[in-house]
Amino acid sequence: MAGIKIKYTKTERARQKKILKVSERMLPLFEAMEKSLMATINTIAERIEQIREEIEKNRKAAEPWTAVMSDSWVNIDEFISVNKIVTKTIDVAGVRVQQFVKVDFNVMPINDNTPLWVDDAIELMQVQLQLLAEIECLKEQIELLEEELLDVRARVKLFENRRIPNAKLAIRKIGQKLQDDERLTIATAKVVKTSKQKEGSL
Amino acid sequence: MVYLMTSLPSLSLGEAPPITIDEFNDDAKRQLSSRHFKALQSVDIQKLDAKVGVKSISSLLNSIKEDLSEVRTAKAQNRQPKPERMPNSLLRGNPMERERNILQWQWEELQDIEAGKTFTLTEVLVYKLKLQLVERLYSFDEIKGAEVLASVVNPGKNKEGK
Repeated sequence: MAGIKIKYTKTERARQKKILKVSERMLPLFEAMEKSLMATINTIAERIEQIREEIEKNRKAAEPWTAVMSDSWVNIDEFISVNKIVTKTIDVAGVRVQQFVKVDFNVMPINDNTPLWVDDAIELMQVQLQLLAEIECLKEQIELLEEELLDVRARVKLFENRRIPNAKLAIRKIGQKLQDDERLTIATAKVVKTSKQKEGSL
Repeated sequence: MVYLMTSLPSLSLGEAPPITIDEFNDDAKRQLSSRHFKALQSVDIQKLDAKVGVKSISSLLNSIKEDLSEVRTAKAQNRQPKPERMPNSLLRGNPMERERNILQWQWEELQDIEAGKTFTLTEVLVYKLKLQLVERLYSFDEIKGAEVLASVVNPGKNKEGK
């Protein structure tokens, strides 16, 4: 409040009361939004962890046969690559984010000369790449939600620490000042009246 | 032909190849007639479609091709494969075990083909095919394989909204 010039008027008091009313109504909404964003971020983080565990599980399941991927006859890189990651826009906790839909792969046709393990490797790689792409999308969602969370937290602090206390203080000060002014006016009026009465009696 | 075959090291499936394909080809080029060398060039276990002059080898390569095709078709149709020449038992286990089984079976088939064909073109062709099998099996490496998998499986970067 320091440094802010208050207009000690009834209009200003009414304005500050309105600010207080709106702020007290908005604060719980922002607090609820903060909680919702935090909960959503935690849920997404848990999902990322689940996907990571799934990737690790798949990797371990394939461990007994990954040696075959160094087959001198095959360059598996040539068989599979990511064309694009398809996403769709959705609303999560009031924030527009990209949700993972699927990965579009470039898969080279397999001919009869190709060893059988290539089919299994392509399947495994597709699964792992899909899961990794989903993680990337979820990470981006978290980034956007965290940005929004920072913004909401700033608003909560603004209402809690500045707007509401400032409005309350302003209302109190204006009230005191208006009361003082009223007293002064009455006192002055009384003094004037008394003086006039004295002049009249003389 | 005799000199070439006696100068070549013996092969054992599951051990390091004692000679590379390039070295073998160099030796063969020096010691075989151009007709025989041409026949040798045409045989390649990675190219199952290639025309090979020796019937038994051609038949084996063709069977491998058809049986692999049958395994893939059966998988796509979600049924048990019925390969003609390749025993079904080879297809059990994980992809690594399956490849090893198939290599072992191919090796044994080649040994049957070369039996009694000492110092013939068939023996030279079979030697090349067996060397390819030895080189291939020797290339299977746990660490390198894991590196190959890791190199392919990394986050995609192209992203497009729907």
